[in-house]
Amino acid sequence: MSSQLLYPSPIETAISRIESLLDDRLENQISRRSIALLLLQKDPTLRSQLRQEPYFPEIERIVSETQAGMSESLTFAIAESRHQLAMAIEQDVTIQPQQQRTFKHEWLHQLTVHPVTGIPILALVLYFGVYQFVGVFGGGTLVDGIEGFFESQINPVVNSIVAAIVPWQVVRDLLANDYGIITLGIRYAVAIVLPIVTTFFLMFSLLEDSGYLPRLSLLMDRLFKTIGLSGRSIIPLILGLGCGTMATLVTRTLESKRERIIATLLLALTIPCSAQLGVILGLLSQEPTALLVWATVMVAIFLGIGFLAGKMVPGNTACFYMEIPPLRLPRLKAILTKTYVRLKWYFGEILPLFIFASVLIWAGKLTGLFDLVVRRLEPVMLWLGLPKEAAPTFLYGFFRRDYGAAGMFDLHSSGILAGQQLVVAAVTLTLFIPCIAQLQFMFKERGIKNTLAIASFVILFAFSLGYMLNRLLTIMELSF
Amino acid sequence: MDCHDCHQSCQPKRKNTGWKLFGFGSKRSVKNNFTHSSQTTIALVGSPNVGKSLLFNLLTGTYVTVSNYPGTTVEVSKGNTVIAGKKVTFLDTPGMYSLIPITEEESVARDLIMNEAVNLVIHVVDAKHLGRMLNLTLQLIEAQLPLLLVVNMIDEAQKLGIWVDENQLAYQLGIPVVTMAAAQKVGLKKLIAKVADYVQSTPLSVTY
Repeated sequence: MSSQLLYPSPIETAISRIESLLDDRLENQISRRSIALLLLQKDPTLRSQLRQEPYFPEIERIVSETQAGMSESLTFAIAESRHQLAMAIEQDVTIQPQQQRTFKHEWLHQLTVHPVTGIPILALVLYFGVYQFVGVFGGGTLVDGIEGFFESQINPVVNSIVAAIVPWQVVRDLLANDYGIITLGIRYAVAIVLPIVTTFFLMFSLLEDSGYLPRLSLLMDRLFKTIGLSGRSIIPLILGLGCGTMATLVTRTLESKRERIIATLLLALTIPCSAQLGVILGLLSQEPTALLVWATVMVAIFLGIGFLAGKMVPGNTACFYMEIPPLRLPRLKAILTKTYVRLKWYFGEILPLFIFASVLIWAGKLTGLFDLVVRRLEPVMLWLGLPKEAAPTFLYGFFRRDYGAAGMFDLHSSGILAGQQLVVAAVTLTLFIPCIAQLQFMFKERGIKNTLAIASFVILFAFSLGYMLNRLLTIMELSF
Repeated sequence: MDCHDCHQSCQPKRKNTGWKLFGFGSKRSVKNNFTHSSQTTIALVGSPNVGKSLLFNLLTGTYVTVSNYPGTTVEVSKGNTVIAGKKVTFLDTPGMYSLIPITEEESVARDLIMNEAVNLVIHVVDAKHLGRMLNLTLQLIEAQLPLLLVVNMIDEAQKLGIWVDENQLAYQLGIPVVTMAAAQKVGLKKLIAKVADYVQSTPLSVTY
């Protein structure tokens, strides 16, 4: 290697002293020089790895001696030497423009991050991108069309074919009729979830590739600071609108454990997944007041719980640092590929589960277990002011968020759920339990203790809030 | 190994067919398997949002999600391809700024290059911020990892009036350098040729 980087002489001395101490058997891919430098910068992983070694105290001594002889911190001195060389090389090998040139669309960047113009832009994105495209078009027009086609064309045919071929009522119910694999499981997946998730992923891919999301982080940073999160965490939260499971995994990108816990909680509690969002927007769009109540309650809970969690979860507020990539004109092919891959992943995930859910319900009905649980849930439904027919929907929601959302659509179209009840059900179902897949990822990422705490809080909170909302709406005599 | 499969290889590559059988196991337990195999493992590393995943997709013909914001990749993806007649496994890693990680996903990439047997590290940088990104290049050189530098997004840099002298950079750093615009597939052939050089010229052991 031609350009070896040399550090100030006390550091170089320390490096060679540490190098000579290191064990021959050390199983590392990287050079001793690197290891020595990492130790001088007090790298936690490497320190815990070497803690047991007999020469570790000696290393500790070298590090503190070297530090004592330097005016600035070792980490800083090392970074500075590196930075100097990197800059010198850059000077040498690049031709930089005379004056700082910026991208032609710099003004657009300014518009998106300045609060005065940024917030209206965000409102436009939400209105057209999410509400009109995903909610009204995806969750309304498309779902109604495909769902209607299923109900009028496919289900009757399936029912009669199954009735003709299969002689046993038990097996008939497994495949067709009210809770069958084809008539319920596949119908939910294809007719309700598919159109919504497709429109959402399309819109989301467009936002992603344009570079809008990091700018949104910048815009929201100040607001998020008040709830103990940095602007950085807006990305997992927005991803959560697609699928909470995916988003829980992405909370890894957050800096502190504290931020990760708060973000996981908010994802489990307040962020609806795309199927829920689409169904709710689609159903409530006919009644603007209902939509307004739902949205206000969600935003209020998001901020309120975020604020409280920010106060209660120990740790320091994270500082915000993020690369802001340039705004780019998204390429259609890239967006379509990405949407397709996501859809494939999503359906690979849910279709077996939806089918499994149908089987489970069928088995539960057969053994009477399903009815038992539903009957237990019925008083809760009445307590929330909901019809007792809503109980199975909540049970589905336990299983999969999107499944519960699809169930809500069914209830509404059969005229059982309307007005105030619809609002209460929408709020409770949004808040209610993260689905099984999300729980699994929470276990994986946050550990059992945190997950149990978050999950039990979420369930209790969802039902109490649903109850209070119902009472409040009754007292206020709001009619939808 | 007596034949190093050099550039002017006198013999046909013999090992290819044999190792296909072992290909099954290598996916699950990479660590144990390829210390003795002739398979090459190449890791793509670099700051977030420099185009590692896009490059990974181009090189392996598979698809991992690519977006225009930092932190899209949070786990390591693996993809296989054949370069210069040899099976090459590419690893796409989450972004990292330095060998000392700040967030959890950064430590994923670091653990990979520190503890697992990687035959070649491709450091992908953004040509627009070369100086800032060379920090990590210098650390990787220090670590004496076999290294290749990809200066990506050269098209965007040129729009800003930044020109990068590829040869001069390679000379100064003492490692191979390729300038690219991966989204336009500019420089891809050059990169594959450089990787092929590496694959053919190395005895492919993990001790350097």
